[in-house]
Amino acid sequence: MAAPTLDTLDQQLIDLLSRDARVSNRKIAAELGVTEGTVRGRIKRLQQDGLIAFTAITGFEMAKRARLAFINVQADVDKVREVARAIADIPQVNAVLITMGQFNITAMCLVDELDALVEIASDQILTIKGVHHVETSIAVKTIKYNARMAKITRPMEVVDED
Amino acid sequence: MELTPRGLMRKPPEQHNAGKMPGLMTQTFSFDATDLNIVEQLRKNGRANNQQIAELLGLTATTVSTRIKRMEDANQLRVVAVSDFTAHGFNVLLRISVEIDGRPASDVAHELAALPEVFAVHIVTGRYDIDMLVALHDFEDLSHFMLDRLSGIQGIRALTPAIVVDISKYQFDVAPIEAKE
Repeated sequence: MAAPTLDTLDQQLIDLLSRDARVSNRKIAAELGVTEGTVRGRIKRLQQDGLIAFTAITGFEMAKRARLAFINVQADVDKVREVARAIADIPQVNAVLITMGQFNITAMCLVDELDALVEIASDQILTIKGVHHVETSIAVKTIKYNARMAKITRPMEVVDED
Repeated sequence: MELTPRGLMRKPPEQHNAGKMPGLMTQTFSFDATDLNIVEQLRKNGRANNQQIAELLGLTATTVSTRIKRMEDANQLRVVAVSDFTAHGFNVLLRISVEIDGRPASDVAHELAALPEVFAVHIVTGRYDIDMLVALHDFEDLSHFMLDRLSGIQGIRALTPAIVVDISKYQFDVAPIEAKE
């Protein structure tokens, strides 16, 4: 995690684009008082550095059955990386964090029903070599969630604009 | 957020959203195939203009624009820049499981959610009551967070922290969407 050097203009761009990524460069340029070329160059650099990525987020509050679940994993310390990678390879798993604490891996996934969670936790994760204990919990209510901030694990392919 | 490489994102939407969309469809808003195709294009490149999307899907730019607006107005879609934790100067991430005592979980959860360092709060089943994610600039912020912020909230019986040392995957493309400001 290299500390990025972001100036005020970068911060303003991130702020604007995190509200709506479909604003044109022209509009951003006018709003921030810079040229369109500057806007285009900055956005490209932020993407290349893996600091921002553009995406479409669809709502889940209306999807009553889409539940966020946590799978807490105890794995052998000398196999943590391999186990985390194996869990990350499971398509239904959205996030994998390696942690220092009571558990050494946290996996997060969105499930429709309990069966799906059991299948991921018991059939897929518990059977990975090096895993010896798995605990699950389900988010029954989300009070706060910031989808605008994330770990960008791989910089997105930069698509040239205009 | 969908932050996978391009190849992975080319999966057809019905497979990509397996099991999730039917839930949405039972509600007042429903996505049709055109909506899903547009969303898929936006996940690949959220900054593609309406004309580019229209050409890829054999639609008119007006249709693309109308469909996006309709989904946005129904609070079912946001096309946004997702920024990395480090872009905000957050170098320390903690997952903290909270046990509460003598107060409703939702009261405590709302007070935790009001803290700026806390970026996710969920009421959960299992041995803990609340699960939260906390972002700090560095470890020096921890004492302030613990002694000035958390200590002001009543009903917290125990905290079980886990320091996030590495993130192998972080891809959420489904999230609670707040109404447009």
